[in-house]
Amino acid sequence: MPAKLSRKCIPYTPFRKELREATLAIVSMAGVHLTSQPPFDLESDTSYRVIPGGAATTDLMVTHEHYDHQDASRDPNIMFPLDRARELAADGFIAGVNNKHYSLGYAQDLRAIYDQVAPEIADALYQSQTDIVLLTAG
Amino acid sequence: MTGLSTVLVSLSPEASLQAGPPRTLRPKNFELGHAFGPPNRPDLQRQVLRDALQLLKTPMEPATLVEREYPA
Repeated sequence: MPAKLSRKCIPYTPFRKELREATLAIVSMAGVHLTSQPPFDLESDTSYRVIPGGAATTDLMVTHEHYDHQDASRDPNIMFPLDRARELAADGFIAGVNNKHYSLGYAQDLRAIYDQVAPEIADALYQSQTDIVLLTAG
Repeated sequence: MTGLSTVLVSLSPEASLQAGPPRTLRPKNFELGHAFGPPNRPDLQRQVLRDALQLLKTPMEPATLVEREYPA
């Protein structure tokens, strides 16, 4: 029987550039989205929202019932540090932020995330200028 | 496809490590829901972000968890 890729494999891609040359994308499961976008289903949601790299943090809100997001609603940077990332880019610590960032809510169907949603986001990121990805959990 | 270099910031590594992230930063003394620190503390939030991104340039075994303490 042919050997299969172990489910315990860790997807590790070495980062060979310098941080100051890197474009960063944020991928989050903290339930962050623009106020103009549909909220996440609180029970379970495998959809994602695209957050533009130039989005105003004041236009972000949190839809999530599985963590206390009172502070994250006031300051989304504590779970989705887009302003902070842009500041690091202005300082030259990184080169910039990608034009698109990806945000999910609370998902129970982890199989769908693993099989469909994550590969779709990875593909989109791979087609973009993104070099490094910051992941934040809920 | 050569892959994407990723780093996770997690306050609950017991849960998130099951997904096999290649690099994880755990801020030790932040409350849940405050992965980058308290609200309206941009200096501290930037420090956490810098530390997380620095893991991408730190030689380590895949699936390493780095814990760091930050001022509350």
